[in-house]
Amino acid sequence: MARVITIDPVTRIEGHLRIDVEVEGGVVKDAWSSGTMFRGIEMLLKGKHPFDAQQVTERICGVCPLAHGTAASYNLDDALGVELPDNARIIRNLCLGANFIQSHILHFYHLAALDYVDIAAVANYEGKDRALKILKNKIVNLVETGDVYPFLPRHESEDYVSDPELATTLVGHYVEALEMRKKAHEMLTIFYGRAPSFVGTVPGGVTTGPTILNILTFKANLAELRNWINDVYIQDILTVAGFPAYAPFMAAGDSGGNYLAYGGFDEDRKGTKKFLPRGLIYDNEVMNVKEFDEEEITESVKHSWYTNQCEGLNPSEGETKPDVHKEGAYSFVTAPRYDGEPMEVGPLARMLVMKPKPLMDLVGKLGLLDKTPLKFGILPRHAARAIECKLIADEMDKWLDQLKPGEPIWDKKDIPGEAHGRGLLEAPRGALGHWIHIKGKKIEDYQCVVPTTWNASPRDKEGNRGPIERSLLGIPVPDPDNPINVVRCVRSFDPCLACAIHLVHPDHNGVKEFRVV
Amino acid sequence: MPGRTVSRRQFLKHAGATTALLGLSEALVPQLAKALQELESGKPPVIWIQGQSCSGCSVSFLNSNYPMVAGLVLDELSVRFHPTLMAASGYKAIEAIEETARELEGRYVLVVEGPVPTKEGGEYCTFGVEKETRDLMGHTVPKDKPINEWMKELVPGAAAVIAQGNCASFGGIPGANAGVTGTTPVMDIVAKIDAKKPVINVGGCPSHPDWFVGSVLDALMWIKGKKGAPDLDRYKRLRTFFGTLIHENCERRASFDAGLFLEDWNDHSPDMKLCMFKMGCKGPVTYADCPTRRWNSGTNWCVGANAPCHGCAEPTFYEKLAPLYEPLPDVNFIGLSPAVDTLGWVAAGATAVGVGAHYLYKQLGKKPESPSEGGDE
Repeated sequence: MARVITIDPVTRIEGHLRIDVEVEGGVVKDAWSSGTMFRGIEMLLKGKHPFDAQQVTERICGVCPLAHGTAASYNLDDALGVELPDNARIIRNLCLGANFIQSHILHFYHLAALDYVDIAAVANYEGKDRALKILKNKIVNLVETGDVYPFLPRHESEDYVSDPELATTLVGHYVEALEMRKKAHEMLTIFYGRAPSFVGTVPGGVTTGPTILNILTFKANLAELRNWINDVYIQDILTVAGFPAYAPFMAAGDSGGNYLAYGGFDEDRKGTKKFLPRGLIYDNEVMNVKEFDEEEITESVKHSWYTNQCEGLNPSEGETKPDVHKEGAYSFVTAPRYDGEPMEVGPLARMLVMKPKPLMDLVGKLGLLDKTPLKFGILPRHAARAIECKLIADEMDKWLDQLKPGEPIWDKKDIPGEAHGRGLLEAPRGALGHWIHIKGKKIEDYQCVVPTTWNASPRDKEGNRGPIERSLLGIPVPDPDNPINVVRCVRSFDPCLACAIHLVHPDHNGVKEFRVV
Repeated sequence: MPGRTVSRRQFLKHAGATTALLGLSEALVPQLAKALQELESGKPPVIWIQGQSCSGCSVSFLNSNYPMVAGLVLDELSVRFHPTLMAASGYKAIEAIEETARELEGRYVLVVEGPVPTKEGGEYCTFGVEKETRDLMGHTVPKDKPINEWMKELVPGAAAVIAQGNCASFGGIPGANAGVTGTTPVMDIVAKIDAKKPVINVGGCPSHPDWFVGSVLDALMWIKGKKGAPDLDRYKRLRTFFGTLIHENCERRASFDAGLFLEDWNDHSPDMKLCMFKMGCKGPVTYADCPTRRWNSGTNWCVGANAPCHGCAEPTFYEKLAPLYEPLPDVNFIGLSPAVDTLGWVAAGATAVGVGAHYLYKQLGKKPESPSEGGDE
């Protein structure tokens, strides 16, 4: 008999996410993804000084403020006609890259790993490693006092990694990873002042120029992070992915096979050459990457808590309003679609578009390409994130060498009376776009279409499920009181709900309104 | 080699460093050690919930250096509920809150990150479910539970409430849209439930991990009877952290006094640290110890990165401090003792030959000709 189970809150993600799944015969038959918090950041930007956009939008999200602040800077650069100096472009790449490292490490160890590793197994550790023995004593002590918060309670699972040696090593890495992600933040503050919210980019460039000293300090931090990513993060991903019990998660959790990447990390002044390439994939045809056309993006609010009367109107006309009583609606997230199709964004999408050698080697080793139909599920999503983390960290070292102390970091431009701008890039969680309309030297309209808006979207006006909803179909739930596999699948997307929820355009091609002609 | 786990001895060492940062006298250190010893046998329970937050203050908390966050979470605090750290999801996570509220009534610290929306029955921010049901495309499912309802349940049994970050404390950025969602600072929600309940506001967007950890420790020591009530300013912030003006302690104050202002970011020279006033620095109206404490393990801070202070620790952030990159339009010294600012600004006026009369006018408190109409761009 079918039964709907509600998981609220989905923890270990950013923000307020509720998942409802209909379970029948031990598998998920249907799923609904609901974002349950609304602030309306774009509304408050109207009438503000355009320079403020980057400080305000970086507060959309505390996990990836770098992505929003950087997108806002490119957006303003575009509107102001800035010729971005090379130093500024590179420093923006370095600091955004540092936040990718921070975010990806945080995601695997602190948000996802507790779904796979049995922390209680640490109490049975018999090995000789001194530090791990200290950790064991700590956990034993916690168990004895009956206070193992926040690691227990949890949903139990028979397939947790419970070998004491392995589990203790992984829990040890959980603790180390706290220091590593912190170090990545410290590294970016060399140029950006502080983190998570930062101050180092402005329209036209950056505020701190390169010096021999800050380049070398950055390099030293980066070297330590690169070693750790190679020796620990990548190895742990391989260990967990190679765990026999998790073999079904190679394909389970496939979001439907549509992937979108805007591309990111400009490698030339015009942004035509990007380290992470731009492109689209349909139906898992990974060898057939299509060209991206911004005009194909549309958004639907049919199942979102926003008034329908705004249909065909632009929020700047004051008609778009949240409506928490709307019939048939179940989320504050809207449903962006590309050419009418739901698209997965994020590290897996980027790596499938880019197809770097380390990923293709791994895909070959795991035999993924031999499977028909080809499907990329929960574990490939984690693996893609780790490989991307390594690729970016390695590339950052080369970018540091391209900095030129003493050369310009800022192109000063006046704010035009009226202008349009756009900033598209890749955030840790996927394709991110900011659009601005300046009128009377003030912000007339500001819009963001954010990675998790794509991934966590509800059904659109045609009834097509969003990528997370679609990925849940078929996920095994043998015990309806234990949705561990459901949350494993949802977390593999690294959802960020504070980002996802925006006041947006109704069922028309909203983004087109902002297109720079 | 997970060598970064913290032993109790190391923690005490770090705690020593923390007390130093807190500005507590050395004589208090043995007391703190004793308090922590007691905490060790029964770690103080913490329930940490999120309102209209961005999780930035949680991420900033993870950047805690002394003490390190692993020690805090494993050894010192019993984090019963934290949406981004805890293992459990769904009803199991909710059970952890409900059990704590039931069994440890009067003993837990309630941390609220982000403000609380009150319009439309609080539907703009929910987590967990209620007994009532609603329709979900033909299925009957439980209704969402507004954070405002959680506040009504959790505030009465809390020993103290910590408003984590600027928006939880004062409304901050989401507060700028309060007309739509009814965004309300945590202290105002608490006051309606129990006017006597102690609330400590931790300013900052995000809050500095020291400010947050220091505020929690201060509250815990007070609850345990180890020290007097927290020394709060009129905005319910610890004076220890929010008692000094950034402008008075800024490493670039000498440039301000000499009239050396940054007006082009390409002018940046490692040897000549120019004042950020003309780039919109809000240091003259912002109370926080950023210049001495600095951020991210002391690596840097906003002005250190050649950027203006945006005043993110102030109750007036963001709306009343905008535009952020324009010089303060008129000097509105909220809460400043006249002696300090008059002296500071007059001294600046007397010495700053390079400062235009335009600025002096404003600095001396006279009304600008066209208030807040973005000037220089």
